[in-house]
Amino acid sequence: MARWLLRRLGAGVVLVWLVATVTFALVSAAPGDITQRLSDPRIPPAARQRWRRDFGLDRPWPVRYAVWLRDAAVGDLGYSWLYHRKVAAVLGDAVPNTLLIASLGLLLEIGGGIALAIVQLRRPHGTGDRLITFASLTAYALPPFLVALALLYAFSYRLPLFPPSHMLSPDGELRHGLLRLLDLAHHLALPVVAIGVTGMGAVARYLRGSLLDERGQHYVLAARARGASERRALLAHALPNALLPLITMVGMSLPFLVSGSLVIEVVFSWPGMGQTMYSAALARDVPLLLGGTVLATVAVVAGNLLADIAYAVADPRVRL
Amino acid sequence: MRALDGPALAAGVVLGIATIACNQGRGGEPRAARSEGPRQGGQVIVGLTTDISTLNEYQSAGESTEFAIMDLMFPSLMVEQPDYQLHPPSFAPRLATSWEFSQDNRILTFHLRDDAFWSDGVPVTAEDVRFTFTVQKDKRVGSSGLEFKDFISDVEVVDPHTVRFHFTRVYPYQLMDANDGLIVPAHAWGKVPFEKWRNTDFEPIVVTAGAFRLASHTPNQTLILDRDPGYWGKPRPYLDRLIFRIIPEASSQLNQLLAGEIDLVESPPPREAQRIRDDPDLEIVEFPARKWGFVAWNNRNPLFADRRVRRALTLGMNRKAIVDSAYHGFAQLAVGPVLSTMWAFNRNLQQSPYDPQQAAALLAETGWQRHNGQGPLTRNGKHFVFDLGYPATNTIRAEMAVLIQSDLARLGITVRPLQMEFTAFAAAAESGHFESLLWAWDEATKIDLTSEWCTPSESAGTLNLPGYSNPEVDRLIAAAREEPDYTRAKVIFDRIQEIIVEDQPVTFLYEAEDLVGINRRIRGADINAAAVFFNIEEWYWGQ
Repeated sequence: MARWLLRRLGAGVVLVWLVATVTFALVSAAPGDITQRLSDPRIPPAARQRWRRDFGLDRPWPVRYAVWLRDAAVGDLGYSWLYHRKVAAVLGDAVPNTLLIASLGLLLEIGGGIALAIVQLRRPHGTGDRLITFASLTAYALPPFLVALALLYAFSYRLPLFPPSHMLSPDGELRHGLLRLLDLAHHLALPVVAIGVTGMGAVARYLRGSLLDERGQHYVLAARARGASERRALLAHALPNALLPLITMVGMSLPFLVSGSLVIEVVFSWPGMGQTMYSAALARDVPLLLGGTVLATVAVVAGNLLADIAYAVADPRVRL
Repeated sequence: MRALDGPALAAGVVLGIATIACNQGRGGEPRAARSEGPRQGGQVIVGLTTDISTLNEYQSAGESTEFAIMDLMFPSLMVEQPDYQLHPPSFAPRLATSWEFSQDNRILTFHLRDDAFWSDGVPVTAEDVRFTFTVQKDKRVGSSGLEFKDFISDVEVVDPHTVRFHFTRVYPYQLMDANDGLIVPAHAWGKVPFEKWRNTDFEPIVVTAGAFRLASHTPNQTLILDRDPGYWGKPRPYLDRLIFRIIPEASSQLNQLLAGEIDLVESPPPREAQRIRDDPDLEIVEFPARKWGFVAWNNRNPLFADRRVRRALTLGMNRKAIVDSAYHGFAQLAVGPVLSTMWAFNRNLQQSPYDPQQAAALLAETGWQRHNGQGPLTRNGKHFVFDLGYPATNTIRAEMAVLIQSDLARLGITVRPLQMEFTAFAAAAESGHFESLLWAWDEATKIDLTSEWCTPSESAGTLNLPGYSNPEVDRLIAAAREEPDYTRAKVIFDRIQEIIVEDQPVTFLYEAEDLVGINRRIRGADINAAAVFFNIEEWYWGQ
């Protein structure tokens, strides 16, 4: 187990390095640089050249790459050219916001998916099952921005129940404690539902299929033979085994928890990683782009690792 | 000059959310008894597409909204007035109560207010002005406005309320260059070594001396400014609070304005102006912006090297129809390199008409012919075909590109509209690796045509995107720069414009109007091209 873990960690480090290197190459090859932001009508072209020197953009790329790699190896991701703060601090602001909506969205996706699958299994191939299948496939097929805009239209503008954007209302920004939390919860509703609804269909489809398989297995029949109710056989015996593929799905979703969804964040003006990285890409803020990419890659590696470990814990047949 | 564009994702536009108009009550107004005239109190909520990246002007890239917000919190010596139609802009007192030049015009003395204080109670003095100058000049700080101080050798503190600017030469924009840049607090920010300025977050140590001060800032969400009760300027603001909400998506901004959740939106898309007009609670303010757009022909490309070809391309476009259609009436035709709203504009310039026949004749003169007047335009067996680049996020220019393509197709010319990511588009323009581009400039009130129209120099860099070169224009621009008397400079500027229009290095397309959608009950606002918040102190909520 320890050797396996070490090997996986080693491979993870190599992967992070590879992704960072490719990102560096792509960003360096992309046309334009941070000086394209100089937009004051009176700024002479000389200022642009001065900025290039100041940001080290006049040095050859291998030098810039070596400097970045040396600093990153000791955990220093440098300063954002756009925000004039440490990259770690900018990411530190954005990641929790993304984590908040993405993790709640994921919970809704999984919880809702499980509930739907169980309801469907009450009468497989019945009208309810077909209706839910149709609805969940439709939700899964819809682009997230369309779901988000439809939710906004319905529950923010037609029926003004929820705020259309932001984490807090202007008044909420200046409040503390419970009032602030309530304001936040109010603002969370629509983006979380937008994330949850689209993924819920996929979870339900997955689970319905594997529950149908598991239900026909001998151990479920044995449970029924021992006198367990249909409901108990399904929930206590078949469900835990049917959930195994979901562990992989959740593990694969972990990077999304960190990297965020640009579309959802833009539509709901949510200040998360998606928006931060989008602004960094537009401005060619190289340190921030690299920092964000490293973080997202670490999340991919960690997500896969955790999924494998969870698999081994959940299924004794798997040996690491 | 500023390249105009904004990252406005088109996603929301798709659905449109067209019929949203459920007013949830407009909450910004003060709860005062009905009375006539200005009332104290209330808040105005403004929608912004991007957050400010810093509170320190000397870290900023000079983005206009960012500067407008910093201008609410930090003082300048004077306030530039939007009277540039008649003469170079004049200035009104702000931190400086008066100023005078020495007899030889090389020393400019400012007399400062003695009742100005920073938000922490420390007086604003001549030391702050001098400190600001050292910040502006220091290469380690890397202020984008460093070059504005090129001809100021020193700022001398005479006494706490008198400061002298020493100039190395006499030129027309001495007042403007001395006034450039907001005054920053020496006692608070002087503790940060200059080599750390670029990478310091100044927000935790912000000390202000403007009509408003920072109350809270959640990055990419909300910026709240409160009226500073200790503000020393006159008049003092009626509003208690300004709230800036970051809403990246343009159609979401508009919908929130229509729903009453925000009170002001800057630059709504012209095609949406009618929706704002139709709302009884809102009005649209339009004013001539200092923005103009053009087709940049790459003069270095053999295809566009002959000015007869460039003139033919201008004649072959129905520019009026293109501009009216893309801007929905919120722009007028541009004629030359100086905006028609500027004092230096040559009012004798003639608009180029839409005349496809003359265009074809000019093209024929240069060897471009169509077989029997039909089919593609060719010369030596080669078709007249080129790419027309425009930024992907700009739907107005996308529409223009298609209309230009359609007009020039009638001459047998094939135009290939080329959508580009904005930074890549800007980089292509700067490097000269393009055939033609739909570009726009945000023009400064300081008229200096050097960067845009002088022969490009490799060493100094250039904003002369088309690569235009005319030695006579170079000579005249240098002469206009040196001329301290603006009436004599105007004569030179008139001639420069005549030559450039004759040469048509670009096809001048439009001078845009700027739009602001605003709650009708906000009174007293004089929104103009100088700044949206130009007279924010006088804004108040009416009945």
